[in-house]
Amino acid sequence: MTSADRARRVLKRLVAASAAERILISSAALGLSILLGAVLVLIAGRMTTCTASDAVYYFGTGFCYDPVLVFDRLFLGALGEPFSGGWSPEGQFSVTLRETTLLMFTGLSVALAFRAGIFNIGTQGQMVVGGLATAVLVLRAADLVSGVVGAVLLIPFGVVVGAVFGGLYGSIPGFLKAYADANEVITTIMLNFIATGVTLYLVSGAFKDPESAANQTVPLPEYAQFPTVLFGGRQDFSLVALAFGVLAIGGLYYLLEHTAFGYDIRTSGLQPDAAEYGGVDAKRTIVASLTLSGAFGGVAGAMYVMMVLGTFQSGLPSYGFDGITVSILAGNNPIGVGFAALLFGVLKSGTTVVQFATDVPPQLVGVLRGLIILFVAMPEFFRMVGRRVVDPGSKPVATDGGPAKGSADE
Amino acid sequence: MSKAVRLEGITKRFPGVVANDDVHFEVERGTVHALLGENGAGKTTLMNVLYGLYEPTSGRVEVDGEKRRFDSPRDAIDAGIGMIHQHFMLVDPMTVTENITLGNEPRKWGGLAVDRTAAREEVTALADRYGFDIDPDARIEDVSVGEQQRVEILKALYRGADTLILDEPTAVLTPQEIDDLFGVLGELTAQGKTIIFITHKLGEAMAAADEISVLRDGRKVGTVDAGDTTREGLAELMVGREVLLDVDRPPAETGDVVASLSDITVDDDRGVRAVDGVDFELRGGEVLGIAGVDGNGQSELVEALTGLRTPDAGTVEFLGADVTDDSRRRRTEAGMAYIPEDRQERGVVMNFDLVENALLGSQHSTEFGPNGRIDWPETRAHAETVIDEYDVRTPGADTAAKSLSGGNQQKFIVGREFERDPELVVASHPTRGVDVGSIEFIHERLLELREAGVAVLLISSKLEEVQGLSDRLAVMYEGEFVDVVDPTTTTESELGLLMAGQDPAESDDPGTAESTDRDDPVDAPAGGERA
Amino acid sequence: MSDAPAEAPGTDAEAGSDPDPDSTPNAGPLGSRSNRELIAWAAIGTLAALLLGGAAFPNTILGVLADVITDKDTLSAALRLSVPIAFAALGGIFSEKSGVINIGLEGLLIISAFTAIYVTDVTGGIWIGFGGGVVASTLLALLFAVVTIEFRADQIIAGLAVWLIALGLAPFASQVIYNGPNTPTVGTTGSIYVPVLAEIPFFGALFSASPSVYMLFVAVAASWYVFERTAFGRWIRASGENPKALDTAGVNVSRVRYVGILVSGVLAGMGGSALSLDLGQFTGNGPTMVNGKGFIAIVAYLFGNYNPIGAFLATMLFAGLDAIQTVLQLQGIGLPRQLIRIIPFVVVIVVLALVGRTRLPEAAGDHYESGEE
Repeated sequence: MTSADRARRVLKRLVAASAAERILISSAALGLSILLGAVLVLIAGRMTTCTASDAVYYFGTGFCYDPVLVFDRLFLGALGEPFSGGWSPEGQFSVTLRETTLLMFTGLSVALAFRAGIFNIGTQGQMVVGGLATAVLVLRAADLVSGVVGAVLLIPFGVVVGAVFGGLYGSIPGFLKAYADANEVITTIMLNFIATGVTLYLVSGAFKDPESAANQTVPLPEYAQFPTVLFGGRQDFSLVALAFGVLAIGGLYYLLEHTAFGYDIRTSGLQPDAAEYGGVDAKRTIVASLTLSGAFGGVAGAMYVMMVLGTFQSGLPSYGFDGITVSILAGNNPIGVGFAALLFGVLKSGTTVVQFATDVPPQLVGVLRGLIILFVAMPEFFRMVGRRVVDPGSKPVATDGGPAKGSADE
Repeated sequence: MSKAVRLEGITKRFPGVVANDDVHFEVERGTVHALLGENGAGKTTLMNVLYGLYEPTSGRVEVDGEKRRFDSPRDAIDAGIGMIHQHFMLVDPMTVTENITLGNEPRKWGGLAVDRTAAREEVTALADRYGFDIDPDARIEDVSVGEQQRVEILKALYRGADTLILDEPTAVLTPQEIDDLFGVLGELTAQGKTIIFITHKLGEAMAAADEISVLRDGRKVGTVDAGDTTREGLAELMVGREVLLDVDRPPAETGDVVASLSDITVDDDRGVRAVDGVDFELRGGEVLGIAGVDGNGQSELVEALTGLRTPDAGTVEFLGADVTDDSRRRRTEAGMAYIPEDRQERGVVMNFDLVENALLGSQHSTEFGPNGRIDWPETRAHAETVIDEYDVRTPGADTAAKSLSGGNQQKFIVGREFERDPELVVASHPTRGVDVGSIEFIHERLLELREAGVAVLLISSKLEEVQGLSDRLAVMYEGEFVDVVDPTTTTESELGLLMAGQDPAESDDPGTAESTDRDDPVDAPAGGERA
Repeated sequence: MSDAPAEAPGTDAEAGSDPDPDSTPNAGPLGSRSNRELIAWAAIGTLAALLLGGAAFPNTILGVLADVITDKDTLSAALRLSVPIAFAALGGIFSEKSGVINIGLEGLLIISAFTAIYVTDVTGGIWIGFGGGVVASTLLALLFAVVTIEFRADQIIAGLAVWLIALGLAPFASQVIYNGPNTPTVGTTGSIYVPVLAEIPFFGALFSASPSVYMLFVAVAASWYVFERTAFGRWIRASGENPKALDTAGVNVSRVRYVGILVSGVLAGMGGSALSLDLGQFTGNGPTMVNGKGFIAIVAYLFGNYNPIGAFLATMLFAGLDAIQTVLQLQGIGLPRQLIRIIPFVVVIVVLALVGRTRLPEAAGDHYESGEE
């Protein structure tokens, strides 16, 4: 009876989260965050001062910031002004795609681990390690080749280096979890700090570019960076890198849905006992999925170095943490990660447009990010709202015992 | 004099299940009353109704002759009822005194501090009164399970309980602790407390209780005086005397040895010996049944055989090879099929559809997962075969396992495992919680496998099932095979005796007269007719 | 399960994981306790060896190091650095002991650090600003409490959200109000100087410190008192270890958890306010001036085994290392700062690897619904 009741409880929880519902909840979370963001913009607009002519008026009150304008700039600006003519791929849109590309990899990294039932907060650190390794090793290798041949050889080499080092770094919490039972949430947070500290040490010492004031490695030669195709070079975006990202999405989708290893991962993530029964080696799966997750993070670092900066600099932007948001919003589905990455790419890229067009501080997007996660984390809230909308006045059934009160044996 | 507790016509329905069906139950004040029955018979549900955790669908609860309605355990506590759950409600890092007084701490300094001296004194006084030997300052995590149980009892008494419900109190105790517990129960009743003692172990019911009520399938099948009943009689009441399956079963044509276990010893998760030196051989074309009351080591034995658990000693041979250290996956690949007892935890992934579930355990096989790539069309065809051939009622193969009824989930698992083309099938309670039609179906399929020369290990606590299907029947008690008998020539009462751990020699010896004597009173007073 | 039958399955912080109901919680804490002691003794032993070595060879690096360690300024700096971390750690203890893992401490520090400066700037009163920071942090904690208790949000993800919201909101507000992520400078809390006592070598630092240091001492002692001596402290512990035991004892688990989270908001708020008012400015670039202190706080209380005094000592260890390396750098003896910074993190991982599963409160991370189960 005990196990049956326990199973019933698990079942209850699972029934409550079908795929359609997840899409609905993600959309609702997004909408609600934008709404709250708008309110925040209005409030902020009251707190600052501006001339009366600059103000906008809602409900008879003047505000210095206009939320409609903010979100107009945020979205349309990030898409490169699709409705005002003169759309060019070289504009802001390529920045959006650049951010999207990086977020795809960090999002996939987090999503893969989540599917195995593991919370990898360490994507940031894995990205940093992969990025530095790529910057250093590609630089060494760049002396051996050059020109087109160099690009053809060096770029895949750099990506592989990023994957290997990110993967190795990701395997550390994997081993710790599998064999020492150490909580991966804590170890990955620690490893993030360690990665930042060690790379800062290396990049300000052994690997420092002597000709630069910043803590960075010697820049890679042009032929060791992602070539710009179609989009021009101004915004550090490469269609080739995006193609890698799309490939990675397809790859992870294929891995999860069409391979035995992916089946092992999904089974472990959903029902560890059933996985054990089905012959899945739990420890191996933990280590393998965190390694692979780290590899995706490492590739994100490699992309950042070879596409955006051309060098490794201390203080990488927080794509790894954004990856958590992307993955949570995507319901940890690789295809969903593509869309969520694009959305966050828009948010990140639109930030600069907003900054340029309005006085609203760019950190607004950071707040939105937090709100989205908060709302996605509480599906129960939307269910309650949903129930109230569907059937106002209904109260949770308390009297019929059974599932409402749950198991009796424990 | 009014009864301490009186339950009248209690019915408790859960969606799709009747857990209690018109149960009448009363307990004399100052006595120990055992509530006996198999797992799932509805004992705990009945007591949860009394404790205010469940509201009965219909029926009446009386305490001390007064009709009561409990909305929550707190109401029951106020009415003087205390419950000691199987899993203790104790806070492990806190001390005995802190646990007993939790929520009712004596205060001082205007409530700003717990009066620890007073608390300690109250607890000591209470323990002394009932003769409990317990250190009030020990941490729960440092004291034995038996002492923890006494803390639970003291906690209930501290809150003024007159009637104590103990849910399977012996499940976690050593034999010595069980003796101590029974002493404690005697002391409590001597001081006027009333004890209700939930158990599935008939020996303990007889040893500790004044009266015994037996539940089966949610109904009460009898209340007997512990003084004039026998173990065999109780065993029969518990498992019932349903009509034996009428299956046409040709004699076994046994082949080679398929599995051989020698001296298997397994400790359970608590470190208590669960399986103690079990040996057996299983040949192709035969069904070896393992009968026994739940919790006598069957689960651990099965897990050791199927690779979910490493035995602490002994070897497992499968098809002539030593597989003791082989992983679960290798054993499955070698031809071992396994119908697990907890189907919704292990047998299926509830959130997967039936196609994905059809793959469970075969994801690395050459048939469905060649080179690590899953052949979904093949898997789908396989799922559809299982659905068709095993009569799984489902809208389609894309339906999630969680939307199927328990019986259909089980038929799906049975089908998947049987279709592995196995050399050995381990079927652990294959028909538990399954409707009658599906039970018959599963039984027929098991016998078909046997005829095809497959070795079958069948574990069940249903006597008629193991008796009707097995060629040889092992009875397990406290981790050991008490005896291996021929099910066709062994009577149910003999089996009942074995399941209660009685010396098997008695029934085999020439001196059968003694055991026949013993059997006589069984049929008369304890017959199922009384229910 | 078959791999570790004797292992005590404590609750882990994984999203959505169910604790094993068959758990025997006896083995884990004992094992971890002895390991912890071992590590503590190792630390003390190393320190003693260093000081002895320094005394014996005053002109070597050991001597310099020993000098630095026994320097009054080192203790003074360590105390100052430990204030925000220790406050947040105390807050984390209240929340996590009650069964709610509060990974958003970092966010609480950020929001209170900013608000304290803002309110001080507006009102001109440093202590009003201090209170403002506490209120802001408590409100954010209230949001976290509502979301996790009423709406059953996953505690880890909701905690991350709290961090991210504050990480965005504080610089956002600073930008709106001050046109930059950094605020202007306001007054500081200054320091309290106890004559005579402050002259004592080394320990004199204890008597010449910022008021927030003294508040921290009081908070550590008060927290210890609450857990060890009051009924409420017991309820908090029970709520995190076995909420059902508390529920059946007639205490409302949700209410206890609400209070636990709100207290964590108050304490973290004091830490954040103290942090920014110590400098008189909030800096909001990148990870802001809080820069991971909330996460170190989590490590500190885990290391201190959820004991307020233990958490404080763990914080002092981390802050002490930081202070020592700062002083060493001033003296031109360069152990690379970046590497010293990561020592606490490495220590945590090594400890986790040795101790295995950290013994979180049994029910931490799980939603509890009265009447469930």
